[in-house]
Amino acid sequence: MKAQVMFSIAKKEILDNIRNKWIIILSIIFALLTIVVSYFGSLFSQGWQDLGLTIAGMLSLVEFLIPIIALMLGYAAIIGEIERGSMSSLLALPTLRLEVVVGKFIGLACVLTVTICVGFGVAGVIIAAMVTEVNYVEYLVFIVATLLLGLVFLSLALFFSTVFKKRSTAMGGAVLLWFVFNMILPIIMSGLLVSIVGLENLVKGDMSMVPSWYYGVQLINPISVYAGIISTVIEPASMMSQGEIPVTYPDFYTPPFLFSLLVLWIVVCLALAYWRFSRKDI
Amino acid sequence: MLTKQIKCPSCNTLTIVTGNPGEETYITCSQCGSQGRYIFPSEKTGHRSFDPHIALEVNGLMKTYNKSYAVNNVSFTVPKGEVFGFLGPNGAGKTTTIKAILDLIRINAGEIKIRGIDVHKQGKEAKKYVGYLPEKVAFYNGLTALQNLQFYAEMKHASKEECKTLLADVGLQDSSQKKVGAFSKGMIQRLGIARAVLGNPEVLIFDEPTEGLDARGVVMVREKIRDLQKNGATVFVSSHILSEIQAVCDRVGIINKGVLVAEDTIAGLSRRLNLKPRITMTLENLSDKIVDAVKRVDGVDLVQTQNHQIEVVCDSQTKVKVILAIAKAGGNVLNFQTMEPTLEEVFMRFTEA
Repeated sequence: MKAQVMFSIAKKEILDNIRNKWIIILSIIFALLTIVVSYFGSLFSQGWQDLGLTIAGMLSLVEFLIPIIALMLGYAAIIGEIERGSMSSLLALPTLRLEVVVGKFIGLACVLTVTICVGFGVAGVIIAAMVTEVNYVEYLVFIVATLLLGLVFLSLALFFSTVFKKRSTAMGGAVLLWFVFNMILPIIMSGLLVSIVGLENLVKGDMSMVPSWYYGVQLINPISVYAGIISTVIEPASMMSQGEIPVTYPDFYTPPFLFSLLVLWIVVCLALAYWRFSRKDI
Repeated sequence: MLTKQIKCPSCNTLTIVTGNPGEETYITCSQCGSQGRYIFPSEKTGHRSFDPHIALEVNGLMKTYNKSYAVNNVSFTVPKGEVFGFLGPNGAGKTTTIKAILDLIRINAGEIKIRGIDVHKQGKEAKKYVGYLPEKVAFYNGLTALQNLQFYAEMKHASKEECKTLLADVGLQDSSQKKVGAFSKGMIQRLGIARAVLGNPEVLIFDEPTEGLDARGVVMVREKIRDLQKNGATVFVSSHILSEIQAVCDRVGIINKGVLVAEDTIAGLSRRLNLKPRITMTLENLSDKIVDAVKRVDGVDLVQTQNHQIEVVCDSQTKVKVILAIAKAGGNVLNFQTMEPTLEEVFMRFTEA
């Protein structure tokens, strides 16, 4: 595997996204959303919220936005080129299919990294200048976790891009995936929680009956892993997500473990994308 | 005796078969019961050690799509420096063969070598020597012609300076800064040719190279192929335009329904089919007596007349006898023209079944 080949492919992906203004548009969206949430997001106080409260306010938005943005960025990366006909020329060059998959991932990951870092970074600097108490570590954790969540969905999108035979079906698949992780799985998990704890106990806020395997099952959804990281590291987010109900996470719910899970998701999805792509007739 | 592992197109189960070169065998899959035919590669094209004079070697290539054979036991060799024409009707398996040569598809059986390097096992190494013009030429529409070529130059480890020269070679020097998205089909085809020859590859694979080109572009491609051959490159051209193939190729391979039905020079194939030259003569005084005299000559296959012209189909040795017979019958030949059998005739005969 040659780094130069992968970087050439990555560079082309980055240039493509600079040209179609994705990087600028996404950075502005992230920055504006953060600033708006920080200034108008709290019902309890007026004006700028500190970074912790801003993250807490942003959590649901990020869980919705980042996956769909990453999926849209990556769903056509492979199938789009196959459909257009440029993949055959690319693979007729002295390249390995693994270099193509990794090169595309690096390029798109750079696009996502720049947009998240610039968007949230600029907003963070503005908010930090407006408030007195600033916890930079918490904000950094938020940015890194958000980036990893984006990369998980980007690698999933790349895998989907190798599975389907048409760009349009890959797009449909990506949207369905987003729907599954954002809607279907949370509904299933809520149903499971009600059946375990009972509706009465849940209304009362008695979460003591929730077994630790439930939290384990929850981790099959990378969005839940992301929420777990934010809730365990950033105090206001933890309080906001739990409301009046105190949640005691099991011992294995540690930030390093949760971060590792997101990384594992990325590695597995990329491996699957390569495996599928290496068996694909172009 | 040859031993081959054949993958079942339905369930991917491997079946081991043994047989002699050229022998045909019927296989029944032990897993799913699917049946198929396999022909063992002939000795002529069987496995051999690397010969530096051979640029491309395809041996026993087999590929199935949805249980039907796209390519069935195709074997041929292209010596270094040769222009090899690959012909076949639509859907015969030309593009599948090319894609297999470039390792773009997974094959069911067979071995492909470029300069002695196995494409399937060492694809990256083998493709260092290849330039490819696909049937459907595509580029990155958001990039300019120059940026596109520079990207491929980077991937091929070729010099970026070469890109400008190549753009001029294919007549795109004035459009080098234009985005490819705004290019016409002919311009994209020209750019595709520039990309294929980037880095001076030793083996060039052209799939329908004149597709979408105007007359000037067709001439440019023909000249390019001749230039490449002069510089020692091997060119593999697949086309359905027979006149193009006839104009540039040293040898041809004809594929029909996934099977390579012929591989030789055009003259060699004509001889194999017993196709004879067509002689057209204009006479001052064409009469029934002359026609009868020509018909009586041994080896004359066909005699047709029109106004003052007489058309005779016979082999080269009989030509003199025909002219003597005309002279004896009192005929005076004003004009004489010989037409060798065309590739079209050869192609039609080999693919008519």
